This record gives sequence, C-alpha cells and structure tokens, in this order.
Amino acid sequence: MKKDKKNSFNTPEGYFENFHDRLMDKINQEKIEEASDVIPKTDGFSIPEGYFEGFNEKISSKIRETERGKLVQLNPYRKLFYAAAAVAAIFLLVFTPIWKSDAAIAFEDLASAEIENYLNISELDMSSYEIAEMVSLEDIELNDVLEDDIEDENILEYLDENVEDIEELNLDYSDYE
Amino acid sequence: MIAEETLVKELKQEETQAKAFEVLVNTYKERLYWHIRRIVLNHDDADDVLQNTFIKVYRNIGGFKGESKLFSWMYRIATNESLTFLKQKSKKLGVSDEELKNTMLENLQSDVYFEGDEIQLKLQKAMASLPDKQKLVFTMKYFQEMKYDDISEVLETSVGGLKASYHLAVKKIEAYLKED
Repeated sequence: MKKDKKNSFNTPEGYFENFHDRLMDKINQEKIEEASDVIPKTDGFSIPEGYFEGFNEKISSKIRETERGKLVQLNPYRKLFYAAAAVAAIFLLVFTPIWKSDAAIAFEDLASAEIENYLNISELDMSSYEIAEMVSLEDIELNDVLEDDIEDENILEYLDENVEDIEELNLDYSDYE
Repeated sequence: MIAEETLVKELKQEETQAKAFEVLVNTYKERLYWHIRRIVLNHDDADDVLQNTFIKVYRNIGGFKGESKLFSWMYRIATNESLTFLKQKSKKLGVSDEELKNTMLENLQSDVYFEGDEIQLKLQKAMASLPDKQKLVFTMKYFQEMKYDDISEVLETSVGGLKASYHLAVKKIEAYLKED
C-alpha cells in the first residue's frame, strides 16, 4: 500500500497488522456486556447432591440390564427365526409356481398385510424424523409422517407470513396452467 | 486427557470397551447433562435422557466413522434424544407442543431443583418463546460457551447462520426481559 508521505505521525510497531483482531475482540466484548446487562449470567438450575458421582454406576447397571435382556430374549428366537426363514425359503421355491396359477393372495402379500396391520395398531416408538429418514419422499405424502395433519390453508398462511420472495419457492407453474 | 482417536479405538474393542466407556462417561456426563437439562428443564427428565443418550452411544459406537468429532456426535445424539423425548411426552399427555412448554414452565416454579429468581424464570419464558433452533444456539453459546465451529458441527448449520440465529435470539430475549 502507498504510504502517506505528508504524514509525520507514527504508530506503534505492528499496529495495523493486528488491528482487525483487536477490533473484533472489542466488538465481541461489547456484545457480551450489552447482553449481560439484561440477560442473567446463570439460569438457576441445580441438581441433587452427589448426582454425578452416582451416575456411572447407574448407567453401568442399566447397560448390564439391557444386555441381559437381549441375551435371554433374543437368542432362542433368533435360532427359531433362522429355522423358520429356511423352511419358508424352501416352501416358496417349491410352491410358488402352483400359487401363481390360482391363488389370489401370495405369500409376500400376506406378510406385508400383516406388517401393515401391525404398524397400524401399534404405537411406534419412532419420531416423525426417524420415519422420514427411512421412507423415501416419493412414496409418502407429507401428512403421513406428521402427527397432526397440515391443512392446505395452514401451508398457504405460513408461506404468506414467512416467504418474502415468491421466486424462492421455485414453483412448478405447469401445475397451475 | 486421553486422545479422542485412542478412546474411539478402545471403545470399539471388546477387551478395552468397559474401561474406555467409563472414561467417556466421566468426560462428558456433566456437559451433556447441562445441554439436555436446558432443553427438558426438569432434573428427572434430564437424568432419563442422559442415560438413554449414553446407552445409544454405547450401542452405536461401532458405527461411528469419525467423520465428525466424538464430542459433536454425542451432542447430536443428546439433542435428538431430548427433542424426541419432548415430542413423545406431549403425545402421551395428548397436548400440543405449545401446551407442553407452558406446563413445563409452570412446573419449574415449584421445582426443588430450580433456584432461579423472578428474572431467571422470565428468562426461561423468553427462551420458550424462541423457535427450537434459536433456543439451542442461544443456550449452547451463552450458557455453555461453545465455539461457533463446534455448534456448527452439532447442529449441522453454517457458522454464519448460527451467528445470525444467536444475534436474533439475544435481541428477542432482551426485548422480552425489558417488557413489564
């Protein structure tokens, strides 16, 4: 950069090199002070005495408990499951051509109907986020993964309040022609 | 402190797993607790969610690829667990998310593990009025004093976006606290 030759003033060494850092520190400091005038520095939560000291034991025993549960319950069923799968595979190979000729309900249809029925009547321990991760977007409607249905009116109201530029939406106008 | 890579390696090997898991719990239990507590507000709920978080970490550590820091990965699990916990709670009680927030704030006033005064209670109300993401950014920055880079890894949002969210959150909280 060109030096100002008419200027006889001087600055401490390295003054301009770290000016930006010092300025940002000052701005940040001011921001913190500005906020802390109004916002309390602590939020008032406390914990039972000795909570953290006893936590390790609590978590270890919970893990042991779940591991034991897994060993007792799953292993016998897993063996049965493999056996059943093997029998089902042979059964399918042998009988599929016969079924195809006259049966209206195939083995696979029956299985998915059962699964669908189970999913309908059971309370799934899954969040809508988890379901959305598993099912592809093409296969579902938005309302399938939401706990409360969204009416078109609500969507329009939301867009009206929150979208400043309609171009951002990248609407496919062919739908409206 | 033990290096993160070594810890992850030990967590994945059966013979060193138990010891390494203890180190992991000791290192992160307090930080994760306070993160969760500021989302669910109540101590017992925070305790449940913290246990579930560590169990999920224990079960899924085999699949941890090290693409993000272990610390961010655990924070992400804790955040998801906390938000899912609140979703399930409102579903069980048959109330909306908004109604649940109000109940949580009412309960806070009689909570033996909340020693806040009137202004701290008002702060909680102000925070409850923020969108989830803004509230998260605010607590992570203001109370947990996390760096934007770390928050960015946990919430998978750009640093610029986080700064804007934080600034907005501070403004809204200040305005709320200044109201009569």
